[in-house]
Amino acid sequence: MERVVTVVPEDGLHARPAAKFVETANGYDADVQVGPADGDLVDAASMLAVTSLGVASGDDVRIVAEGDDAEAALDALEGVLSTPEAESET
Amino acid sequence: MSTDEQPSRTIDGTGVTPLAGVGTAVWYDLSVDVDLDEPPESDAVDPEAERDRFDDARERARDELDREREQTAERVGEEEAAVFDAHRQFLDDPQITDGVADALDDGLPAEHAVHRAFEGPIEQFAAMDGMMAERADDLRDVRDRLLRLLTDVDRVDLGALPEGSVVLAERLTPSDTAQLDPDRVAGFATAEGGRTSHAAIFARSLGIPAVVGVGEDLLTIDADADVLVDGIEGSVIVDPTSEQRERASAGRDVEIRTEPVATADGRSIEVAANVGTLAELEGAVRQGADGIGLFRTEFLFLDREAPPDEDEQVETYVEALDAFPDGRVVVRTLDVGGDKPVPYLDLPEEENPFLGERGIRRSLGPDSGLFETQLRALLRAAAAGDGTLSVMFPMVATVTELEAALETVDSVADALDDAGIDRAMPELGVMIETPSAALLAEALAERVDFLSIGTNDLTQYVMAAARENDRVAHLHDPTEPAVLRAIDRTVSAGHASDAWVGMCGEMAGDPELTELLVGLGLDELSMSAVTIPAVKETVTGIETADAESLADRATDATAKSAVRDHIDNREP
Repeated sequence: MERVVTVVPEDGLHARPAAKFVETANGYDADVQVGPADGDLVDAASMLAVTSLGVASGDDVRIVAEGDDAEAALDALEGVLSTPEAESET
Repeated sequence: MSTDEQPSRTIDGTGVTPLAGVGTAVWYDLSVDVDLDEPPESDAVDPEAERDRFDDARERARDELDREREQTAERVGEEEAAVFDAHRQFLDDPQITDGVADALDDGLPAEHAVHRAFEGPIEQFAAMDGMMAERADDLRDVRDRLLRLLTDVDRVDLGALPEGSVVLAERLTPSDTAQLDPDRVAGFATAEGGRTSHAAIFARSLGIPAVVGVGEDLLTIDADADVLVDGIEGSVIVDPTSEQRERASAGRDVEIRTEPVATADGRSIEVAANVGTLAELEGAVRQGADGIGLFRTEFLFLDREAPPDEDEQVETYVEALDAFPDGRVVVRTLDVGGDKPVPYLDLPEEENPFLGERGIRRSLGPDSGLFETQLRALLRAAAAGDGTLSVMFPMVATVTELEAALETVDSVADALDDAGIDRAMPELGVMIETPSAALLAEALAERVDFLSIGTNDLTQYVMAAARENDRVAHLHDPTEPAVLRAIDRTVSAGHASDAWVGMCGEMAGDPELTELLVGLGLDELSMSAVTIPAVKETVTGIETADAESLADRATDATAKSAVRDHIDNREP
């Protein structure tokens, strides 16, 4: 199953938001891939791959998940991508 | 202390904290003592054993990162600690671990496998721009951590150094710097790095004397040598003389005076703190600040996804005002642009950001909405907080800009009145940091209550020497005659219009220069909290007449060397 989400964190998928995204993807029993809405997908469990996508705020990304937790993983990842991220920590 | 002294040797770098410290050199070496380009023959390697070594190193690296993250969050700040989240994800990245596994399958020893697996990604990121290039630095840090753990380099435990150590290193990562204990470490110096490196930022937060960007000469200092790290002058002195030592320790162990101070003949000098986060408020109070001379508001706006709303700002400003019920809090309106990116603002890529759209230029242009919200919050806070609020506009270059800013204040005040919201009018002032503002000081002072001289930027602009450029660091000195004259005329212009005049650059926090500044007529000096006790103590010993005579001689001088001679030979 898959979903297209607009990226809200203003840093896009860089350092901190990317780390959170990858951490979340790794937390589910599902194979997750991510990429631009109309482009090639990469492994969502790889910080390197996710960061190198260069996804900016406002970009649409496609998330594809396969496996037992696919739906829950998509929900959680959508949550990460659509939450302005900074206030959660400080 | 021995009486037969060796000649001292001074190596110049970039000072990043206005502090000095003396101690014993400890080398912190990250280099790995194997030639990673030439792996041994594969039949000499046991792949299983190498795999275990790698797994073990990765496990230890994880533990270290967790510990350092926690420590950094506690001692430096949650924002700074977030860099470790990214490091942890890189450590567990399947692309990296697969790369390592492949290399191990090829019969490489673990350290060579790590080196090979990181090489491609590092090069890939390093070739990209901006934030992506920073990821290359993160990857290097993670790689070096693994290599260190694998090669069992006998690394100094930075968290457990003997008291009075001076750490010397080619470079320090954020995690290295966060481990330094300000109570034990007398200072650090690095061959690489600039004022804005992570190490520099952490050093300022932790209050550790530090000099960066020293270059290759640093490597010539022997372990166990006596070293003085002078973050004020930006120098590292090997085998300092007792006179140099005394000067370095002058800023430390000085009595903290919580009361305002005056010169020996009774001229009051307000000694205030520069504050860049709410966390620093407490330190400012503790060090005896009379108030805040520069409250940078950028922290409210940076590292978040949307600007702070009006109520959140009111709360922050009131907190600052309540910390100094009998004092004054000078809040600088948002000064972004230049070197300070803000994610939700569409900041232009500029050829010369320091000469570009920053400070009041943005507040009157693309960020006028943010500016109005900030002013609303400030006027509300002025009515709600205990202390006296002053509001200062940064980067003003023309009288027209100041008038536009003042009109905005008036219209915001009217709008609050119309809505029946409690507000008060703060003192209003201009930050003098462009040569243009210094030259127009008379006209600016006529329109406001105060002027505050930002010497870091003023020096950079008067001398046309970028603050971050090591090659012109010798020009970046506020005791250059041209800068002193700009300060002198600003103070005279302010006083002619009954505006008080303060100074909020690093210069204000250098006790060596306090007498000169008092002589130039400054009413207020604002600095990093750590230097307040030393400056207050210095003020109490000054005779105004002597100070004025020193200032006359200094402003007449035509060379920095002559200014320095006057300062060094002033009447005791």
